[in-house]
Amino acid sequence: MYMIKYILKRLGLMIMTFLIIFVVCFVLIKMLPIVIDVSIGKDADIAYATIKARGYYDPIPVQLVNYIKRIFQGDFGVSVNHPEYRNSPVWDVFVEKLPPTVLINVYSTIFSVPLGIALGIFAALKKNKWQDHVISTGVMIFISVPGLVTAFLVQYVFCFLLGLFPLYMKAGFDYFTWPMFKSMMPAVIAMSFGSIAGYARFTRAELTEVLTSDFMLLARTKGLTRRQATVHHALRNAMVPIFPSIVGEFVSVLSGSLIIEKIFSIPGVGGLYLDSITYQDYDFFMLLSSFYILIGLFAAIFIDLSYGIIDPRIRMGVK
Amino acid sequence: MKKTLKYVLATATLVAGLGSLASCGGYKWKDDGKQYTYNTYTSVSPSNWNELTYQDNNDTQIMGYIGSAFFGYDFKFDANGMIVPGEFEVTYEAATALEDVTATYAGNEKYAVPSGEAKHYAYKITLRNDLKWDDGTPIKAADFVYTMKEQLNPLFKNYRADSFYNGSTVIHKAKDYVFQGDKGWYGADTPYVEYKESLDSQLVFNVGNTAESENYGGALCSFRGSMGFPESYGYELVAQYLNVYYGVSADVVKLQGKTFAEIKADATLKAAWDSLIGWWQTDPNEELDFFCTEYTWPEVNFEEVGLFVGDKDNELVVVLDSPLDLLKEDGSLGYKAAYNFSSLPLVKQDLYEANKVAPVEGSTLWTSTYNQSVESTASWGPYKLASFQSGKQYVLERNTNWYGYNLEENKDKYQTDTIVCDTIKEWNTAWQAFQNGEIDSIGIDVSIAQDYKNSSQAIFTPDDFVGSLQLQSDAEALKKREEAGVDKEILTYVDFRKAISLSINRAEYNQTCSTASKAGFGLFNSMHYYDVANGGVYRNEDVAKQVLCDVYGVDVNDYASLDEAHAAITGYDLELARECYTNAYNAALADGVISATDKVVLTFGTGAITESTTRAYNFLSNAIKEAVKGTPLEGRVETEFEDHQSAWATDFRAGAYDVCTGGWTGAAWDPGYFLLAYLSPDYMYSTAWRTDVETLTYTVKGVGENGADVEETMTLLEWYDCLNGAPGAKYNWAEGAVSHEARLGIIAALEKVILSVYYTVPIQNSFSASLISYKWDYVTRDYNTFMGYGGIEYLRYAYTDAEWADYCANNTLDYKA
Repeated sequence: MYMIKYILKRLGLMIMTFLIIFVVCFVLIKMLPIVIDVSIGKDADIAYATIKARGYYDPIPVQLVNYIKRIFQGDFGVSVNHPEYRNSPVWDVFVEKLPPTVLINVYSTIFSVPLGIALGIFAALKKNKWQDHVISTGVMIFISVPGLVTAFLVQYVFCFLLGLFPLYMKAGFDYFTWPMFKSMMPAVIAMSFGSIAGYARFTRAELTEVLTSDFMLLARTKGLTRRQATVHHALRNAMVPIFPSIVGEFVSVLSGSLIIEKIFSIPGVGGLYLDSITYQDYDFFMLLSSFYILIGLFAAIFIDLSYGIIDPRIRMGVK
Repeated sequence: MKKTLKYVLATATLVAGLGSLASCGGYKWKDDGKQYTYNTYTSVSPSNWNELTYQDNNDTQIMGYIGSAFFGYDFKFDANGMIVPGEFEVTYEAATALEDVTATYAGNEKYAVPSGEAKHYAYKITLRNDLKWDDGTPIKAADFVYTMKEQLNPLFKNYRADSFYNGSTVIHKAKDYVFQGDKGWYGADTPYVEYKESLDSQLVFNVGNTAESENYGGALCSFRGSMGFPESYGYELVAQYLNVYYGVSADVVKLQGKTFAEIKADATLKAAWDSLIGWWQTDPNEELDFFCTEYTWPEVNFEEVGLFVGDKDNELVVVLDSPLDLLKEDGSLGYKAAYNFSSLPLVKQDLYEANKVAPVEGSTLWTSTYNQSVESTASWGPYKLASFQSGKQYVLERNTNWYGYNLEENKDKYQTDTIVCDTIKEWNTAWQAFQNGEIDSIGIDVSIAQDYKNSSQAIFTPDDFVGSLQLQSDAEALKKREEAGVDKEILTYVDFRKAISLSINRAEYNQTCSTASKAGFGLFNSMHYYDVANGGVYRNEDVAKQVLCDVYGVDVNDYASLDEAHAAITGYDLELARECYTNAYNAALADGVISATDKVVLTFGTGAITESTTRAYNFLSNAIKEAVKGTPLEGRVETEFEDHQSAWATDFRAGAYDVCTGGWTGAAWDPGYFLLAYLSPDYMYSTAWRTDVETLTYTVKGVGENGADVEETMTLLEWYDCLNGAPGAKYNWAEGAVSHEARLGIIAALEKVILSVYYTVPIQNSFSASLISYKWDYVTRDYNTFMGYGGIEYLRYAYTDAEWADYCANNTLDYKA
């Protein structure tokens, strides 16, 4: 019961937080000077008339109320200033562009989480041996090298020189076909290197610390094998901080990787949020802000609740 | 209309060369079974190729393929069928005849064609009878009339509506139709052309800035614009300025906010007004320049607009408010037919109606999703849209219902069956794709320029863009940003600005910072024509060459000819630069502007700090630091680089930083008009330079009575107005009103004045460089201003798709040779 109460309380707080941030975002973006394109030879009167007809000169509270009414009618507005999506409904654009971003990140997570954790465990178990040194060196290299360089190298070696994959993602919406999967692979590989290195380093560090804990010594003295002690005691404890980082990374990648998507021509959402601010595209900005705020807030609740699943000793909301 | 030049050219390029209907033999296009695909890429995907609303050149990518034109350009061929370099022809395409019918409408009260006029105001266009949409629906003159009605629809306020009232093509009552029913505050001369006493109670005197005009909906009087007052000038400062500089009564300040009726009723106010108008007025109706008015645009029936169907269903009649010379004396098409009037917008009626979107909550604006997806797109051009994925790819294939394929003269043209355009934002990705044979052409990046600039597949294309260094003109803004021990005001000394100009080795700059661009010295380059019909390139004329020699201190007497002297200009003279730096420093020191220990910090700004902008910044920064060596400023000049993102131009104009690189493109066939960019406060970078105050004395050849010369002293803006025949200007020296030579002289004189103040320092004549694949070639490698290289219409393929795929699989593509 206390858990349900706790969840309801968190959801209530989440809604309040969301509304506050939502209003702040709306007011702040509307406080910026309105972008008006009056280039040589253009009639300023028609440019102003258009802006006026869109209601951009109305008081901000009036605009906010109108915007909320529109959302309840299922209309998130249209892009006005973004050169690639001008006059397109922002919701349609976002929904069309989300699948490639999500898929690439899901594939990358599927590759990198088990591989990264496995390498981290192996390195921790072989601490200070040559295997650990090899893994740690590799980890340091892939963490240090910027994603941009990794992506270019993957593209140049695997796609251009060896011809194993297409240089960029295939056009179309057939996301679950082999040619499409193959064309996504270079981006997935480029994204995975950094993630694998990150998980390996994190897991190694956590596990190394746990393995040297007193309770591990106790577990061994109670007669558990090293494998049993590691899997049942050490790994479970080490996962407490690792699991939230996986969820956190997955949430953050929903916004897309600007660089990876640019290099591999992936028609995803990477860069959309930044563009919405650059071009001062109100409806895009508000939709994306709302989406990411909501995802972030939900993720925070999910991560908090997940502690209890990984480690039953942790209980949320218990006084 | 001029803003649409690129689209016009693209369209013209696609469909140029088609002869009149009369030349149509019984030729029928047949599919030869061979597949030729042109694979290209773009960094920004188009989003809206609706002719009524498109906003930028990205959108014209698709428009250029799916539309046709009434008239277009084509290469001129000699008797042997060879292209004559640099020459062109204007041809009929979707139209078969153009007739000047001005006499029919002259003096007709319904229109504004002056009585007695016989030419240039009204035209009848006869359309081909075989025009069709891609689904086979016939196209008639009524479709163009419907489209114009939608183009000017007041509920939509379409972005391109002003193309038919704000440029060279002014269709009768087009603007009135767009704004009908709108109520708001305007500068009084926007709704009213003529001043009448009956308006007195509606005219409110307002020379205030935007903030002071809040009660008048933010409306500004046109006087402010004519004088170029900056936003910081409120009405009190304006009145003070007029009093100090022009001796106008100081009581003008009391007129603010009063109606014209109130002013006339009060003796003091009337005296102030008389003083003001007495100084200002040279023509009737200029009273309106000082007032704002609340105005409701009257309802207009579309029947009153100057576009309608003629006697036959394929005849279109257009009646203009300002003359447009589309035909030569012999009745053949003039170059303006394909430039200013290549076509009128066209939408498919049923599809357009189905894609109208009603206003959303809080808005009154109707919008349309026409031509934004495959389903909402209709074509009447050589290609039709087959697929479109936003931000990823679009594919065009043959529109077999296009009339042009069945013309005998197109028999060997339009070899391309399919056009595939991928969105690739990263140049390196595109470069690898090009080397794999996946895309058919690519721009040469500066990083590979050295290796590929001598390639047989390299194409260098001139551009009308002139890149310049812009130097801050706002003394107050410079002073405001000074800190202890830092001086910026030295930039206000012309010698200092001249010294910066002379410090730059333009040839080296372009070699270092661009792929193919060349040193630029003037406001115009070899792409700017002052006399298009006769191929008159401004920069090739003696008077234009002399301007550059004068500005860059090249003494013609030291050379065998003016041409030699002109060719010797480098714009780079370290010795003279050092002399100028020293002179500027000494003058600033004497004026107390700089101290003996102050540093000079020049803040460069840009829209994005990238590898290429950083390269340019470093070059310019080093050039200035090198040039001050041996002067009192040695070691005392520092530079910094700021990212102002999309606001870089606005920020510069507002005085937020000191130096930027910027330039202009467009109106290459009308340099007289294009001077607007350097003289109008609305556009110029040097906003604090008073072109309404600075005067020029010049003698215009042969424009007086009986061909006499006219010597005049006028402000630069007044010269500009005369040159373009602006309403109310003292003279009408617009194209057609006086000889090209007379206009040439004025343009050169204005160019010299602008260059001599060194706020705009030209450094680059833009060229783009590209590599084309071995799969195809252009019909000519000689760039033609009117036709480019011939466009998709003239592409010649060496390989079919299958042959090319096979070739690429078995060979390594090497483009260095």
